[in-house]
Parts: sequence; C-alpha cells; structure tokens
Amino acid sequence: MPLFLTERSQFSMPHNLLAAWLHTFLFAAAGFALFEQRTTAADEYPGKPLYAKLCASCHGDDGQGTADNYPAALAGDRPLVDLARLITETMPEGESDVCTGEDAEAVAAYIYDSFYSPVAQARIQPPRIKLARLTNTQYRNAVADLIGLFRGGRTFDDKRGLQAEYFASGRYQKDKALDFKRVDTLIDFDFGEDVPAESKFEKKEEFSIRWQGSVIAPETGNYEFVIQTDNGFQFWLNHSQVPFIDGKVRSGNDAEYRQTIFMIGGRPYPLRLEFSKFNGKSGEIRLRWKAPHKIEEPIPERFLTPTRYAEVLTVETPFPPDDRSEGYTRGTSVSKEWDTATTSAAIEVATKVFDDLNRLSGSRPGKGDRSKKLRLFCERFVERALRHRLTDEHKQLYIDSQFQKTEDEETAVRRVVMLALKSPRFLYREIGGQNDTFNFASRLSFGLWDCPPDSQLWNGANGNSLDNRIKVSRHAARMVNDPRTKMKLREFFHYWLKLDHLTDISKDTEQFAGFDRALLSDLRTSLELTIDDFVSQEKPDLRQLLLSNEIFLSGRLGQFYGADIPNDVKFQKIAFEPEARSGILSHPFLMSGFAYHNVSSPIHRGVFLSRSILGRSLKPPATAITPVPSKLHPDLTTRQRVALQTDHLVCRSCHEMINPLGYALENFDAAGRFRKKEKNRDIDASGSYLQQSGELAKFSGAKELGEFLANSDEVHLAFVEQLFQHVVKQPIQAYGSGQKEKLRDLFVSSEFNVNVLLAEIATVSAFDHPPADAPSVETAAK
Amino acid sequence: MPRSTSRRRFLKTLGLNAAALPFLTNLPSLGFAGSTSRKKRFVVMFSPNGTVQKEFWPDRQGPDFDIKPILKPLEPYRDQMLVLNGVCDKVKGDGDSHMRGMACLLTGIELFPGNIQGGSHTPAGWSTGISLDQKLKNVFQASPETKTRFGSLEFGVMVPDRADTWTRMSYAGANKPVAPIDNPYEMFEKLYGQVQDRESLSSILDDVQSDLKKLRGTVSAEDRHLLDEQATFVREMELQLKAVPETETGHTIPEIEQGVREDNDNIPQISKMQIDLMVNSFVSDFSRVATLQYTNSVGQARMRWLGIEEGQHSLSHEGDDNKDAQEKLTKINTWYAEQLAYLVKRLSETPEPGGPGSLLDNTQIVWGNELGKGNSHTLNNIPFVLLGGGSDFKTGQALKFKNVPHNRLLLSLAHSFGHEVKTFGNPGFCGDGPLTGLT
Repeated sequence: MPLFLTERSQFSMPHNLLAAWLHTFLFAAAGFALFEQRTTAADEYPGKPLYAKLCASCHGDDGQGTADNYPAALAGDRPLVDLARLITETMPEGESDVCTGEDAEAVAAYIYDSFYSPVAQARIQPPRIKLARLTNTQYRNAVADLIGLFRGGRTFDDKRGLQAEYFASGRYQKDKALDFKRVDTLIDFDFGEDVPAESKFEKKEEFSIRWQGSVIAPETGNYEFVIQTDNGFQFWLNHSQVPFIDGKVRSGNDAEYRQTIFMIGGRPYPLRLEFSKFNGKSGEIRLRWKAPHKIEEPIPERFLTPTRYAEVLTVETPFPPDDRSEGYTRGTSVSKEWDTATTSAAIEVATKVFDDLNRLSGSRPGKGDRSKKLRLFCERFVERALRHRLTDEHKQLYIDSQFQKTEDEETAVRRVVMLALKSPRFLYREIGGQNDTFNFASRLSFGLWDCPPDSQLWNGANGNSLDNRIKVSRHAARMVNDPRTKMKLREFFHYWLKLDHLTDISKDTEQFAGFDRALLSDLRTSLELTIDDFVSQEKPDLRQLLLSNEIFLSGRLGQFYGADIPNDVKFQKIAFEPEARSGILSHPFLMSGFAYHNVSSPIHRGVFLSRSILGRSLKPPATAITPVPSKLHPDLTTRQRVALQTDHLVCRSCHEMINPLGYALENFDAAGRFRKKEKNRDIDASGSYLQQSGELAKFSGAKELGEFLANSDEVHLAFVEQLFQHVVKQPIQAYGSGQKEKLRDLFVSSEFNVNVLLAEIATVSAFDHPPADAPSVETAAK
Repeated sequence: MPRSTSRRRFLKTLGLNAAALPFLTNLPSLGFAGSTSRKKRFVVMFSPNGTVQKEFWPDRQGPDFDIKPILKPLEPYRDQMLVLNGVCDKVKGDGDSHMRGMACLLTGIELFPGNIQGGSHTPAGWSTGISLDQKLKNVFQASPETKTRFGSLEFGVMVPDRADTWTRMSYAGANKPVAPIDNPYEMFEKLYGQVQDRESLSSILDDVQSDLKKLRGTVSAEDRHLLDEQATFVREMELQLKAVPETETGHTIPEIEQGVREDNDNIPQISKMQIDLMVNSFVSDFSRVATLQYTNSVGQARMRWLGIEEGQHSLSHEGDDNKDAQEKLTKINTWYAEQLAYLVKRLSETPEPGGPGSLLDNTQIVWGNELGKGNSHTLNNIPFVLLGGGSDFKTGQALKFKNVPHNRLLLSLAHSFGHEVKTFGNPGFCGDGPLTGLT
C-alpha cells in the first residue's frame, strides 16, 4: 500500500480526482446496462406461486393493482430488505402472520425483480417522452429571445473584425474630423508617438479611434475583458449608455483595466470602444479577454463582428446543473434549488425589464399612450413566453388581473413579467403534449436551437405554414443553416468528445518541455476550429471528421509537434502526418486529454472510443483499482503494463473491449505526439473490436482504426442516437421502435450528411411526436 | 469602475449571489444592526464654486456669533451649529483648484497624475486615498454593532453624467471613486426595490398555484409528480414570505412624487426628494453614512426658480465689484443653506427610533465646498458649517482658526466617531492633530 501512496504523484491528476473522473465517465451509461442484464425468468422465483396465492387478488397478477381492493400499482424504490420486512409485518392485510420470514423474502424478491424496483419498471415500461422543464441553456435563451423581440433582431452575418473610425482629433465626439474608416481584425495596437500610418494628416500627435461592432461568446460562461492602454478610453459592452469599463480618467500608473461579464454562448454582444490620444509618448491600445478554458489573449478576429447587434438580456442568476445522468442534458426533474433559481431569475428579469421599460414598450411615463403601450408589451411578452396564443382565460390571469391588483402600472408590468416567468407554461417545454402547430414550432426551435420559436415559426404556427409534415420539414431545413443550429451542433461535438471533462490537463515538464498553458489553450482551440469548420460546411460528412488528415495548427503548436509552419502563424489548416493521423481520433488535444501526465492511457482512449464513438454501455469497475504505476515495471511498455493491470477476471469483461481499441492509438504519446517507439521498442498499435454481429474487426494504428469506425454500422447508429438525444432531450426509443434504424438509413443514404440527419431528427421530434398519454378520468378529476 | 444605473442593483445584491432568495424571504438585511447603543451618523453636504465670503462669515466669534445672510436659513438651529473659519485645503500637486478642492475635500491627500486637464495646473487623475465618509463606512461595517445594510449612501442632485475628478468626492480607496446616485427613483429602487419585489412575489404566487392546479389534470399520471413537486416548492415559498414578521417589513415605503425628470429646473424637487429618502433611510437604519452632492465642482446649476438665468460657475468667476453677480451668488448660496435647513429640520423633527432625542441629536452634518471663493479659486477658508449632535462637539459657536489644514478637521471628525487615527490623508498636514476647541 505505501507504494501506491508514493506513486500518486506520478499521475497528472490527483488519484482521487482521477478516480472520480473515471467514475462519472463510466457511470453515465450504467443505467441501461443494468436492466439489460437482469433477465432472470420470473418462473425461477420461489416467491411467484406465493404471490399468486396470497397477494394477487388485491395487487393484481403483475402488481398492476385491482380497482376494488388496491388500485395503485406496486412500484417504488424501497430496498429489497425493507420490502421483505414490510411484508412480514403487514401483509396480507389482516393476516400478517401468514407470510413471514423466508416466505416474505421470497415474495419480496419476486416482486422486486418483476415489477417493483425502478429497474423493473424501466424494463416493463419502455422509455416514454417525459414532461420536461427548460434546461438551463434553454431558459437563458428563452429569456434573451423574449426581450430580444422588443429590441429588434438582426440576422447573423459572416463579417468579422470591428468597424473602426479614426479621427484626427482627440475629441472625436465633438468634432467631425473623420480621418479614415476601416475594419480592424484585432485590437492590438501600439502607435507609439505617431498617428496611425494610414492617416491623411501629417505630424499630428492627437487622434482618436472608435471601434464598434459585437463580440460573439463561443460558449456560456464568464469572460474577463482586459483593456491595456496608457491613454484615456471608454468601453461599452451590452449597454449603450453605461460604460462597462470607464477609463476616461487616466490616473496614476493604471494601464490595465479588467472587468468580468457573464455571456451566453453563441450570442453576439454589442460593444463600442473609444480611445483617444493627446500628446503622450505612448499610443497603445489592446482589447483582450480571457475566455473559459483559454488563456488571456487579444480577442481573436473570429469572435468579433462589425455588425452591431441588439443588447442581450442575460440572466445571471446561477442555476443548479441540469441532469446528465443518461448522457445528455435534460430537464426531467425539478428541485427546490431550481425552483428558487427560477424565482430569483424572474425577479432579476423583471428588474431589468423595469429599468429598460421605456425602450421595450416604446413609450415614456406621462405620455398619453403609456397605458396602452404597456398593455401591448405585456400581451406580446406573455404570449411569446407561454409560446401559445392567449386564451381569454390566460389573458385574465396573466395580465388583466395583475393590472387590477395594483394602481401602479409599472408595478403591474413587473408582476406580469414575474408571473409569466414563473408559469409552468413557460418553465416546461410543453404541458399535455398536444400536437398543435404551436408545439410543432416549439419542438423545432428548442430542438435545433435550444431557443423558443423565432418570429417566422411563431407566424407559421399562427398561420398555416406548420400544419403538415412537409411544411414542418421545410422549416427544419431552413433552420438547420442558422448559426443557432451550428451552435447546438458544436455543443454536441463538445459533449461527444468529452471536452467538458478535459479542462485541466498538465504534462510532465521534463518529458514534455513546452507543454504549457498557452500550448494547451492552442490545442483546445485547434480542436474547436476543427469542429467549427466541420459544422459550417454545407454537407458535413461525419466520416470526414474521423478520417481527415488535416489539422489546424498555430505556430506554437507547429513548433511543439514538429510541423512545418512559420512560428508566428495564428492558425492554419494543414495536412499533418497524413500517414499516421485520422481526424479527431488522433487529435493531439484528445490524445493529451486521454492520457496521464507522463504516459499514454489506452484505457482512457478505449473508454472514449467505446462510449462516445461506438455508443457502448460500460459498467463501472467492479472494484476500484489503482492504475499500476509505470515505475513499478520499468521494463514494460504501456501496452504491456495495461494488459497486466486488467488481467483480473473481474476486469476482463469490459477491458477485453476497451483495451484493444485504445491500443490502436499507442502511436501517440501522452502529449499526442506521433511516436514509433516506446522504451526503445517498436510500438504495437494493433487492435481489435468484437462487433455486435459477432465478427472480430482488426486494425492497426489510427488510420485503420478510423477506416473501421467511419464505416461501422454501430458507429452510425450510436451517432444517430446520441445526436437525437442531444437535440430532443428525450430517449429515441420513445419515438417508436425502429426510429433509430430509419434515421440511420437516411443518414447513410445522404452520404452521412449531419445536416440532413439534424433536419429529419427535428421533424420527427416535432411532428411524429406520439400522442400524449390521456390522463385517466379518475386523476383528471382530482 | 463605479456606475450608477439601477440595473446594477441586482448584480450587487442578488444576481451573483447563490443565496439570493433568503435575502428576499427572510429580510434581516433590512437593518442588521440590532444593538441598543447610540446610533451615530455622519452626513456630508457639498455645494460648489466657493461662497460669497462677506455674506457668509460671522463678524463675531464664539457663542454670541452673528449670522450673515447666507446662513440665515439655519438660524433656528444655531444651538446645533458650528461655523469654522480659517480651515484651508492645503493639498497641492496635480490638478486644478476645482479638481483638488473636490477630490481632496474628504480625502485630504494628493491626486494621481493623469489625463484630466483643468483650466490651469497640470493634468490629474483620481485621488490617491480614501475619503472620510468611506473610511467611516468601513469602520461601521466592520462591527456587527454598527453594521447596516448599505453602510453608506451617496446622494446627488443633478450630477453630470460623466465620471471625472470634478464629479467625484467620495473615494473607496486610491483610484476608486464612488458615484453618487442623483436620480431619486434609482435611489428609491436601491432602498426599497426588494420590499417591492417581495410584495410582487407574494402577489403572483397565488396565480402560479392556480394555473399549476389547472394544468395538473392535463398531464399523465407519471408526469404529474413533477408539477406536484413544483407546487410544493411554491407553497413553501409562500409560507416563507408570510413568515417574515410585520416588524421587519414594517419599514414604511415613503411616497415620493412621481414623474420628476432629471432636469435643471427640477433641482428643488429632486433636492427635497433626496433629503426625504435620506431621512427615511436613517429611520430604517439602512445606513449611517450619507453624502449629498449638489451638481459638481465647477457646477453650472441655473437657478431660474430664484430668477437667475446664468450658470453658477460662470457667475462665480465675476469680480467682487460685480454687484449683480455677488447678489446672485449670495442668493444661490442661501438656497443651498435652505436645503441644509430642510435636512436639519427633518432630522430634528424625527425622533430617534428606539432612543431618546431626535435623529439630529445623533447625526453629524458637515457642509463643505471645493473652494473658499469662486473668482480667486482659493482653497483657503473653505466655508465649513457643522450641524447636529453626532460628534458631541461644542455647538452653538463660531470659531476662527489661523490657516489650519482641513486634514485636522477630518481628524476631529474621525475621532468623534471613535476612529482615533493619528493622521488622515497626507500626514504632513496632520502634525497638530485634531482641531482644538471643538470638544
């Protein structure tokens, strides 16, 4: 044991962290694996005849209950021993001494496995579409879009950089000395003592610049903005009047200003930066940021746009994380914390609406049309929040009664906003699940965008452009090309590639000199660019992602990995080690992430390939086993050591699948560098996979692995299922048996075009939604 | 960087705080300070551009001092008053007199070099030190006995919407100017927004319940538990809201005049509203430190309601021989004294909650200015008037000092609140300690 303790420092993550990480990673699929296994035939239970004799008359033959005696189904989550005790003590009713001890245990075991336990219930009742609340992403988007309705939207464009106006005066606001205009891609300047080179004016020390446009948040999170300058400046972000950072007054030696803001992924936030130089020696101005998972850097061009978008109302109230226990985010449970968060958020939004009420309602206090405009605002807000045309009854409850209860109209507006955002009709995706055009619209938009219906969908639902399947699919086809779909797809790939787990990678500083935070940041960017590039294609072919021999490299990466590109290049897509690499499978970020700090990890890589790419369920390890430290066996290769470690009988059932998949990537060391040898021995990258058909596939190295995976039916099915569930947030099985195969067929026939698959998933989930379970008469009456 | 829109209230008090709702549902925060010891308060009122000296300074010193026209409105409170002549802002360095006068008034320390170029002198930035009001706030907030919900409140009246050395006199520290809130509605929102939110919340939760009940029947039995759980949460919140004792919500929300726009001509209404809100915040013990800033240093209020069309700063540049200007400036400064008198009146008429006497008996007000006199831009003889019993000074007298640095006044005030430091601001001006004769 002491040996293990001293060896802990070997690994890039503390051991307990690693164990926890592996655990979450593996547990995700445990649910399904469990109940697939429990197939004991009911006949084998000695408790079965006892149940039939003593219990079935009240509880029904299969525990479903009987109307006369005990209508409720026998289902619950009491542990088995508890169930046995309960039977001993209380059952059968009035004759509790008839079934006790071993008899009670036998009956309990039968009941438990056959229909009582949650696992048994899941087996008996196939997955269904569950009532779901908005996920956190959907909630934030819904609020932002709701308010966006009143701020005027703008379609996204592809322009990048910021609009720049250069003025030949330090006081551009007061005079019109416009010198020249251009688009600046990066705000990272040092003009020294001079004016900008392009200036028409000579020998003038004084000038000012105004940059305008928007900054696009690549993901939801906190962004720290940094402005570096020795001169005066003001920086507005997501608010046109109040500066986000006000550096107009230069004071002392402050030359760096920082401020953090929470932004929603995929949304452009309007900004304006005004900089002026009078007669100082220095003319530096830099606009930088620290984005999540990244190092501080000048804001890259691809996140800047010269188009000024509307301000985004961003809910900052923290929400508890969504459930992801089945591998995709879903809103099928509620908690007190969540309910509290929705209340806080409702107050937050109501406050922000109140502060901007004049603009949002298009009216001013004291003006004659104020009351009318406030009402109009409320009506539009509520109907779009509830995502249905308002009935008279709803109008009365959500709007009229709020205005009746208080004399102060602005207070009434606040309450209308709060009530709408606390309403179950807003908070839940859809209640009752009717197949009406409004639900078609919501299913499409939440499916493809995680946003509520845009105006086109809303009008379609109100009119007749969503009333049959073809029309629904037309909307889906339009929506697939929207940046919001790209955002959602990008997010899918981030989940698929486990990027949210790979946040804290570090490497042995001697063995991997140069693998620092900056390199890691670039590595992550490289993978993100690969994904961005993929999703932005017109016909993104999944196989390309697995097979491509091109990679995005920066100068820094090129230097570390030995690619032939100039050191100062930002990012460039090049063919790199084409004989050895295969798309994202061998991407150095993933290779580094699925590795220890000093050695590669075929197990991590194999688990990733099994779970994500092949969609296989894995049980958590039977016993927690500390990885065998490499120092203990200095002569063994990584492959040999892993084989030794997992040789135990309890390990084999899973590792016989995991290891041979991971071995195929042994040509990549712990930092994802290509290697032919380890410890002076040739790398053995041969691997295999026992397909569900019973056939053993063999491959060696990343290229052959890629070929196998790209053409594997299992991979295609797994991709369809995972994408479906990411989009719809419901189990695919709930949409009819054979749905997965139907979608797979379409995917194959479209040459693996992910956009085609997406549009069909959206259509299926919107239109082929099974009818809602009719509530029974008895419960409805309650 | 401070900013002043009320949308930020949320960020500060709720938005970034995971424990947001307890704040709403269980509001001990409406006045943490539960102690029974004496609540002492500190108020600074600022008016700009110096005064008209001959219409301001008493001829006679001591208890038998005479009251000149500008101070006439304060005559009823002469027993609670201290007029301090000969106190000078000695701080030199970067920045013009208006800048230093403003930013050093409560800090007593030099400005950073910077890029704000005034009418003369070198350009400057913000103050290099904390101001007395903010210092006392920190002292109060550090002790559970004296801690309040806000610690300090910065009121303004028509402060220009720009942050620079002429518009900021409060500093939370070096380079940390504090923006006054000059919109009474925004201040109202800051003070009472939560109580309003609570009322609104109570009012809508019933409606949420009724719709939940209706929807319950439309979903399948398996899904119903989700709605039932939510209904339980909502009910729990309703109960929590009801459980807040009346005494804690009982802080009456003052009625304020509606629809007063931020506009030069509305300065009198805004002034009154801000003073009323300040007095109310003291009654509720929201804060024990407050500042009230009229316009800004170099302020250009046009007091048309006094029949004066010109801006105050322009007038203040006129020579002593311009009789018309002198008369107008006297009127203007008298008007400021009237505002102070209104504040004093309100405080004197409001009994100290839970204690003997009035709010005024426990409040120390300082009325200051960035200059002694407008046309000379002197920082000597700053027109300092002290009012109220908060510092237990010997009031009811006029004192004449011989050219003493105002840091010593800041020291006296600090000491009177139990903050017995040796120096405040630039130590070079604190050599002789607190002013003599005040206590």
